[in-house]
Amino acid sequence: MNKIFLSGLTAGIILFIISYGGLYVAIRCFPSFFVDYNNPLFNSNGNRDTLFYSHAFIFSFALSWFWERFKSLFKGHFILRGLEFGLVYGIIALVPVMWITFSSLDITVTMVLSWFFYGLCQAVIAGLVFAKMNP
Amino acid sequence: MCLKKHIISLLTACCMLLLLSATDKAPALIKWMILKDCTVRVNGSTNINKFSCVVPDYLRSDTLTCYKGNDLPVILSGRLALPVISFDCSNSMMTNDLRKTLKAKEFPSLNIYFISLEKYPELNNTQESITGVVNIELAGVSKKIEINYQISMDEHKIIHLVGTQTIRFSDFALVPPRKLGGMIRADDRLDVIFKINFKRISDQ
Repeated sequence: MNKIFLSGLTAGIILFIISYGGLYVAIRCFPSFFVDYNNPLFNSNGNRDTLFYSHAFIFSFALSWFWERFKSLFKGHFILRGLEFGLVYGIIALVPVMWITFSSLDITVTMVLSWFFYGLCQAVIAGLVFAKMNP
Repeated sequence: MCLKKHIISLLTACCMLLLLSATDKAPALIKWMILKDCTVRVNGSTNINKFSCVVPDYLRSDTLTCYKGNDLPVILSGRLALPVISFDCSNSMMTNDLRKTLKAKEFPSLNIYFISLEKYPELNNTQESITGVVNIELAGVSKKIEINYQISMDEHKIIHLVGTQTIRFSDFALVPPRKLGGMIRADDRLDVIFKINFKRISDQ
């Protein structure tokens, strides 16, 4: 339990810095890519900011529990295990979610693909942390 | 809201009566009919882009009344009632976002009430800069604002009035839209430009 919490917390902190730092830099470097976010689909009054910024921790604790249950299935070097873990998450969780998101919401393909890539990177980073801290 | 409008109308009428009684010469009543080819444009920006939204055609033929006397400013009465739903930002997502921000469902009209002009314009083919006061009613909040006008009259006796002013979302208790936890956010400032064409219909 301690290992799940500790590796989850560590992955959460790392993901928080990389994800929101990356998003901040991306918005400044590629502003035109984010113009479509001026859309009423996205919350605009700031009352869900806490939920938005806690996503990295929700994600990392959920994946930490998942890692604990299934880590024996991932074999090899910790980098390989982390990568495989991220890909598994991408295939079983991200692809179906992105599929239904794109089919039901008025958003662009670029937006959905960027979310897929973003989620995949997060899962791989979390996987690397878990493989190192909780082998 | 209705009571507020009545109170404003009553106060305007009282002011005009006071003005009428205070002057030796009775002021001339001049009516300008608002023509249909008028536009209102709102320019704004976010930290990632600029946007420009326009109400392309004003379809109502309203009338603006000028009370031209010796005293200044010249008192005006009349209004533009713009349907917020008509704002078009050339991008459906931004258009919908602006309508949501301006609470188009609750408050479908953006009203511009003309209150006064610094002086009665010369009305010739050279552009004249005049300031005036309007009352802008947006999302259920009214704010009196000084506007910079450029006024001219062409050879067809059409009066062209271009009004410009910077307003703020916060002036009307509106929150500038912000997305992704505030990483994308709109500026509070909006530049409003309205181009109105009038035809003088009567002097009394």
